[in-house]
Amino acid sequence: MYLNNVNPSVKALTILALVLILALLFDPVTPVLFTMFTVLITFLFGRFRKKYYLFYFLPFTIFAFGMFWTTIAFADPPQNPAETIVLLGWEVPEENVLVALSLSFRVMAFATLSLLFMFTTNMVEFLLSLMQQLRLPPKLAYGIMAGYRFLPMLKTEFDQIRAAHRVRGVGTESKWKRSRRFAVPLLAGAIRKAERTALAMESKGFTGSRERTFYRNLKVRGKDWLFPAGMGAVLLFFIIFSVRFGYFSWYQGQL
Amino acid sequence: MIDVKNLTLEYEEMENPVLRNVSFTIDEKESVLLLGASGSGKSTLSRCLTGLYPRELDGSMEGEVRVAGKKVDGASPGAISRHVGIVFQDPETQFCMLTAEDEVAFGLENLGTAPELMEGKVDTALEEVGLLPKKGRTITSLSGGEKQKLALACILAMRPPVIILDEPTANLDPVATDDFVALLERLKLEKDVTLFVIEHDLDPWLSITDRVLMLDREGQLFYDGPLREGIDRYAPILHEEGIAVPQTVKLAVEEGAATPPLPLTARELAGRLPVLPEVREKEDGERALLQTEKVNFKSILHAIDITLPEGSFTAVTGPNGSGKTTLCRVLAGIESPTSGRMLHSFPKKEWFKRVGYVFQNPEHQFLTDSVWAEVAYSGADEERVRHLLEWCGLWERRNLHPFTLSQGEKRRLSVATMLVEDQDLLFLDEPTFGQDARSTRRVMDLLDEKHRSGTTIVMITHDMELVEQYATRVVAMKDGEIGFDGRADELWKRDLDAFQLKRPLKVRLKEMQEGGVRVPQ
Repeated sequence: MYLNNVNPSVKALTILALVLILALLFDPVTPVLFTMFTVLITFLFGRFRKKYYLFYFLPFTIFAFGMFWTTIAFADPPQNPAETIVLLGWEVPEENVLVALSLSFRVMAFATLSLLFMFTTNMVEFLLSLMQQLRLPPKLAYGIMAGYRFLPMLKTEFDQIRAAHRVRGVGTESKWKRSRRFAVPLLAGAIRKAERTALAMESKGFTGSRERTFYRNLKVRGKDWLFPAGMGAVLLFFIIFSVRFGYFSWYQGQL
Repeated sequence: MIDVKNLTLEYEEMENPVLRNVSFTIDEKESVLLLGASGSGKSTLSRCLTGLYPRELDGSMEGEVRVAGKKVDGASPGAISRHVGIVFQDPETQFCMLTAEDEVAFGLENLGTAPELMEGKVDTALEEVGLLPKKGRTITSLSGGEKQKLALACILAMRPPVIILDEPTANLDPVATDDFVALLERLKLEKDVTLFVIEHDLDPWLSITDRVLMLDREGQLFYDGPLREGIDRYAPILHEEGIAVPQTVKLAVEEGAATPPLPLTARELAGRLPVLPEVREKEDGERALLQTEKVNFKSILHAIDITLPEGSFTAVTGPNGSGKTTLCRVLAGIESPTSGRMLHSFPKKEWFKRVGYVFQNPEHQFLTDSVWAEVAYSGADEERVRHLLEWCGLWERRNLHPFTLSQGEKRRLSVATMLVEDQDLLFLDEPTFGQDARSTRRVMDLLDEKHRSGTTIVMITHDMELVEQYATRVVAMKDGEIGFDGRADELWKRDLDAFQLKRPLKVRLKEMQEGGVRVPQ
């Protein structure tokens, strides 16, 4: 049973729910435990190229660390200034460190959950499932699909234009003026492409109506519920754990 | 099957109608070729046939279009797609899914085909165009020719009685073009389809055409009838109308053997002409303008040793993806080689004043809001700008925005901007791509003139007729390496299939004549 096979809509809703619950909590331990659990699950039950995970994971770590640091540096005056912790030779109030840790681990928990989804979900299947399970209008779904195909094309086009302008000897003007020169051919190209694609889709009988059949039918099967059940159970366990050991706290607008 | 009566169409922003009083009918199982220059209203007509116009038209449309007996006007897009399918020109922009099978299924889904029948239909359609082995592949990994075949498979799966092909091979190389036409020829024999092909180039379509319609620049039909008769009657003016006459006819006219019935195949022509004189040898200068030593670029180019003699006209050719464009970009200094040496005498600071590069899409190079400013951009004086604009025939249009020019005009403008500084070395990436016969001729004339006055030219092209006519030497790329480098007449003796190339007509003729092929008179 791989994560990749879980119904994408079920997966997305589960992750959304988990994020919402995590957002209500405010202690450093639960998100740490849950982050580790999520990464473990991703690697155990996900099929993807593992080294890319690190590549995407790193920026989030840096972001979380930055958040940790700024929260300490710009914290409100502590209520118990006497209780301090020494960090890298600095004496900082323990309270502030806890708030900062909670915040940054929360970021990590959100990030790992998103990465779990990203790395184990096929974009096309996700859109198909949104249409089939969650009644997303086909007009929107196929629009997104066509747009998704455009991204690499726009990138190549951008590189082409940059090279073309260099040959013309551009480079002395202000950045704003230069970006304007990029915008015109890029937009003209994009509009033309979009129009052509729309035409082609229409000529294949696409009207955007919901009355269509599907080549790939995505269904919600019994085993798809294992994912929300399992993830939910573990989070619940961590929360009970936190209550049991007395560090549980609701989020009350701390920063 | 198709019945068009007195169709006149006018766009809001244009002064003159694009189509004037066009009437024609197409019968069941007929293959009809519509010829016309770019901008003559061909694509507009195809939009009328698929019912897109008048629904999406900014302008006015008069007359009546019926497909399979039903009026197109007022029918829903879903309903029309059951009767007419269309394959468009640009292979990149006619898909919305990621894999081949999903794309074929897309049309079936729109028709509401039962899911359990779909896989079978998808497989059959892919089988028909020979893409079944690539069923699960992503569309981006397919070649241009394969993409067009896929576009055809999408239509075939929906089984419409009429298939419209709007310049389907304009973006394909010659071998892929022949391949695509051969596929259509087979389908036409096996299936009961009506084909309506819209083109400006007649050559590839000779074999499958039952009847031709010819559209002039004013948007009027001036001929409707059998191919041979049309050519015999209108050959002299076709070129003016931007329609490419068959190569054989062109050669017959040049050699003074142009009496009707005009020859449409090499075989017919071979019987007419005296044995052609030896192809003239073109000499290059002695001095090397640019030289490379063991140049590599990423994993695309390997061990490139090439010399560009001063005053030469080099054609770079080879299959798609063989590294032609990358080679030219490295030589032109747009990309730096990963390893190896480039020897030249241009000062680094002035590099792009001495070396020009015309990109495949001319729009990418435009920087300003008017044709005049475009040429004047690098600080040329008024006299020079005027001279250049007159030279490339854009003087009248000097105040227009470059993006509003026609395809051919855009191309000429981009060539002009690259010659402002009187560059010594000019690279061109498929300068005749997507151009009709007349503008191809104009661009090539301009280049030839520049070449004669001493500019060294390197041009990427698939068109062997151009190579034969203009190039002093040919570089044929294969898998990122130089497969051939030398005079054109040497290349014709090699195995051209390996480079996905076709011998030019003159060479084929000569072979026929010398090989003593028996020619029916």
